[in-house]
Amino acid sequence: MSTAKDNDSLRLVLVGGSSGSFAIFEEIIRLVRNPLSVALIFVLHRGKSSTAVLPEIFKNKTNVAMSEPYHLDPIEANSIYFAYPDYHLLIGSDRRFYYDCTDKDFFSRPSIDATFISAAVSGIPVKAAMLFSGSSADGALGMKTLAEKGFPTYVQNPAEAESPRMPEQALLACEKHQVLAGGNLFSIINDILQ
Amino acid sequence: MVLMEYSELEILIVRIREISGFDFSGYARPSLLRRASRYLTTHKMDFPQLLVHIEQGGNVVYGLIQELTVNYSEMFRDADFFMKVKTEVFTYLESYPTLRFWVAGCATGEEAYSLAIFLKEAGFLNRSLIYATDLSNKALTAAREGIFTLGNVRTFSENYLAAGGKHSLSDYYHVAYNKAAMLPELRRNIVFSMHDLTGDGVFNEFQFISCRNVMIYFTLELRQKVFRLLYDSLSMLGFLCLGKRETLRYSGLEDNFKVIDTTLNIYQKIK
Repeated sequence: MSTAKDNDSLRLVLVGGSSGSFAIFEEIIRLVRNPLSVALIFVLHRGKSSTAVLPEIFKNKTNVAMSEPYHLDPIEANSIYFAYPDYHLLIGSDRRFYYDCTDKDFFSRPSIDATFISAAVSGIPVKAAMLFSGSSADGALGMKTLAEKGFPTYVQNPAEAESPRMPEQALLACEKHQVLAGGNLFSIINDILQ
Repeated sequence: MVLMEYSELEILIVRIREISGFDFSGYARPSLLRRASRYLTTHKMDFPQLLVHIEQGGNVVYGLIQELTVNYSEMFRDADFFMKVKTEVFTYLESYPTLRFWVAGCATGEEAYSLAIFLKEAGFLNRSLIYATDLSNKALTAAREGIFTLGNVRTFSENYLAAGGKHSLSDYYHVAYNKAAMLPELRRNIVFSMHDLTGDGVFNEFQFISCRNVMIYFTLELRQKVFRLLYDSLSMLGFLCLGKRETLRYSGLEDNFKVIDTTLNIYQKIK
């Protein structure tokens, strides 16, 4: 169990992506050092019948605890979480995860917007939110909402993304995002995670 | 997209209660906020406009409550779950002379029809009664009609086959006007009726209760209360099925159930 003090200092790092993001996620997880001061939450678009268990796939990349959380599980630092297929993963202001199976956003459940918007209004500080390659406009509104609340937001350079549409749409929707490009991409992420 | 803040949501909850008597205070805020934001977006209004809008009361508030409570549903959602119900749960229930099933929070009836189909294939639909309840009259009316769009039915058919269905789902519906209407014989053993899990009590005793992805919309406190209602409605050794991301944790009844399947969230009442 985490103490109240731990909870008071809880901060989130949010990462969203779709087609073309998997290899980047893998690299980010490789950069994680134990103990990780934040809760690192990944939302990757997946089909509802996806049977891939991401914590299993990534288990050799890090020794930080990884899970696809259950409804009402507390959000804790030094943990990596993945959104589960066919549900939206919401962040509660009581620092618990909430699941939701209302309509898809941009044909996606989980949607990046759902998680990012819920985090933006949760009152839990977001250390950074990042959006990578993908072929829909999901994530743009969530990133904009986070940026307008004053949280640091990073978007992959569309020219370097395997599927440029998602980062492109995010940059069109809001001018406050920093662009993660080429050489600096993983060094910036590394700084965020330390 | 119009976004709402939690402070606005609390104001809305109070106003809805004052105008209609319907109480959202036990509903999980993150999901309710998402739904309310979607309502604003689809109805092209902002929060102050919504407050004025609901002053009209009547159908306007009723419509809002519907949209804030309606549940998404699919036939044979989670094929692996239905497969398990068929192979493990049904095998156990087979010996009962009569059986009562409860689909709690049935929305537009998909889960109830799925159960009826598998019970028919297992050969004991005739001695089974499926009670399918929801708090939304509108959803129940649709459920009784049992009419689904062909687009949805394509997904349902894939689910059905993946779950180990014996035939083709098309054996269970007629197509007319580009819609699929479930066969009346499936309906014969389903009772659709109104029941509010958050306020109404025990109304029967069941050997099987499916309440999947319903309690995720309630607060931790209300969820405990609903868990107690489900527990009280189950016969000894009856089965309780929850959604894939739900658990018995934080229910207060962890010790009263045996886990039949951890991943698929099937439990059996043992005390």
